[in-house]
Amino acid sequence: MPVVTSHEAVDVVVVGSGASGAAATWRLAKSGFKVVCLEQGPWVDHSKHPATKANWEELTRTSWAYHPNIRQGLADYSVNDDASAIKVLMFNAVGGSTIHWTAHVPRFHPSDFRVRTLDGVADDWPITYWDLEPFYDENDVMMGCSGISGDPANPDRSPRQMPPLPLGPDGDRMAKAFDRLGWHWWPSDSHVNSQPYRGRLACNNCGPVGWGCSRMAKASTDVTYLPEAVEFGAEVRAESTVYSVVTGGDGRVTGVNYFDAEGHAQWQPANAVILACNGIGTPRMMLHSASESHPAGLANSSGLVGKNLMFHVYAGASGVFPKNEPAYKGPIANIIMSQQFYETDPARGFVRGYTFQMGRSTGPASTAVGGVPWGAGHHQDFIERFGNMSGLGVIGEDLPLETNRVTLDPDRRDRFGIPAPLVEYRLDENSKRLLAHGVRQARTALLEAGATRVIETAQSVNAGWHLMGTARMGEDPGRSVVDGNCQAHDADNLFVIDGSAFVTGGGVNPTPTIQAVALRAADYICRERSDLKR
Amino acid sequence: MPTKQGALTDSDRRNMRVVMDRLIPPVDDLPGAGTMGLLDEIERIASEHDRYRKSLVRFLDALTMDMSVEAEGGFLALSGEQQDEAIREIEESLSKEFANVLEVVYISYYSRPEVHARIGWRTGPLQPLGFTLPPFDESILDTVRKREPFWRQAPD
Repeated sequence: MPVVTSHEAVDVVVVGSGASGAAATWRLAKSGFKVVCLEQGPWVDHSKHPATKANWEELTRTSWAYHPNIRQGLADYSVNDDASAIKVLMFNAVGGSTIHWTAHVPRFHPSDFRVRTLDGVADDWPITYWDLEPFYDENDVMMGCSGISGDPANPDRSPRQMPPLPLGPDGDRMAKAFDRLGWHWWPSDSHVNSQPYRGRLACNNCGPVGWGCSRMAKASTDVTYLPEAVEFGAEVRAESTVYSVVTGGDGRVTGVNYFDAEGHAQWQPANAVILACNGIGTPRMMLHSASESHPAGLANSSGLVGKNLMFHVYAGASGVFPKNEPAYKGPIANIIMSQQFYETDPARGFVRGYTFQMGRSTGPASTAVGGVPWGAGHHQDFIERFGNMSGLGVIGEDLPLETNRVTLDPDRRDRFGIPAPLVEYRLDENSKRLLAHGVRQARTALLEAGATRVIETAQSVNAGWHLMGTARMGEDPGRSVVDGNCQAHDADNLFVIDGSAFVTGGGVNPTPTIQAVALRAADYICRERSDLKR
Repeated sequence: MPTKQGALTDSDRRNMRVVMDRLIPPVDDLPGAGTMGLLDEIERIASEHDRYRKSLVRFLDALTMDMSVEAEGGFLALSGEQQDEAIREIEESLSKEFANVLEVVYISYYSRPEVHARIGWRTGPLQPLGFTLPPFDESILDTVRKREPFWRQAPD
């Protein structure tokens, strides 16, 4: 790649400005590191999110779709997931997929870090829940958490910054059904403001929280971490697409090559490089950065870069309820959750477990697209469903398999010539049994809540929001890519801090854990790696 | 048959309007989706988004190339039941493309203010109004709070 411009060297280049990259940028800049954060996407204008447009439902399925191949934005790279049982979902902008997330933020459980010891499957993490706990708390302060402590399914946690979001009549109904069944439930922890917080407004319950928030009531890292990081001296370079991480003869990284917004090649030297491009983008970048000192791909002496890809397996059921107060008021998936079936119970026929995440009704077009039949029965079916549906999503732990992986597509490339990620993924029998159990229990709960009809989804295909495991951490360099501080075994000035570093995926939305891992890694750099500061 | 670029011919438009009326028939005082005049909107969306454009082209190709339909004098000459049958055959043989066509028809229909008025949906953008909900009431936790912590201990 012929370089046009060479920039002044910095201490750390962070590649990616999403959940993890922004958190690390903030923490390092706060400690006096000279940091540049490179982001392939643009800054997002929050006043232009879909909810501000009359055709918002069209936008959520087109230019704001979750799948990059549908969205086809300038910053999006094509993903070849044709052969994957789960499709890859992500967003590329300053703030990354936190622009697009629902901000439902449960934490991993202590058991999630010890699955080998407790259940004899996969591997233990080299760190524990308790190692991450202070960073979960720090992250909650930065993002702002609505919720309430005291959940019996989880270790007690510090007081939340704001009270829970309103449950709404649909949330109340579901909670009482769980109570009658004797099952656990708890109000969702959400990085959505129930009150004004740090200059951001409170949520006004418009609904489609997963497609940006014009009030900035939903935390995305472009409005939480990055403004403070910039105040501390960090530079965020948007529309900067990293082409490769460059290494020297000694195997250490020396900086990154990237293309700027005009397509001009740039060189950014740095003492350290932090990769935060998500569980698909990071292994893609590492495999594309093969060099003489890293012939199998950057930091890939273990051969595990790109392997052990984990999504969460999703299934669920939706209940149609008798007409009542419309159930489309409020954030679509930040209501309540149940972890009745989270921990392993051998009697269920599978190991590990899942969370129920409640979802609610949405707008008319989305309701229709969600399965209303065409033809003579259309209007009757529609009117029964519209505003009258509640769902229970089953978010299940999918255990790592080396055959579930990301490699470089031999044919497909992005506009800069970088190969597309080729994703291969299948569900194992444990996951299938887990999902089947979850759907049965979801049906039970919805009927208990008063549903007159239950519509089941055995396994969701468009569910690859959570991208994990492709550069996993561990103590053994032969069986992992980075150590417990996210430092690469093969290059002591390279760090991987996104979901790629996960050993296992738990049965919950992973973003707060991703951010806690990133903050902990940045804290390590600040405390132990002063050699990286000029 | 549409051109490869996706521009619909007059014949395609006539067919598509009837298809749309079969997909979303008239109800109360509202006409079906085709008679409502949504085709321009569907063509706009299709022209802006590849997956809809390609799917619409394939769907209309299939509709005009169905020999049994042609033998009856074309799609428009079929009875309503026969038209439904022809559509169902395409739904089975081109399920992905049909799903995209149905999606764009649904999106267009359920974006119309007159449809919103019938179903009781506030038309226009969701913001800045949003919706009002009563604040969280902690008393709903009374039962679940009685439960002892049950998360699984893990060794260090």
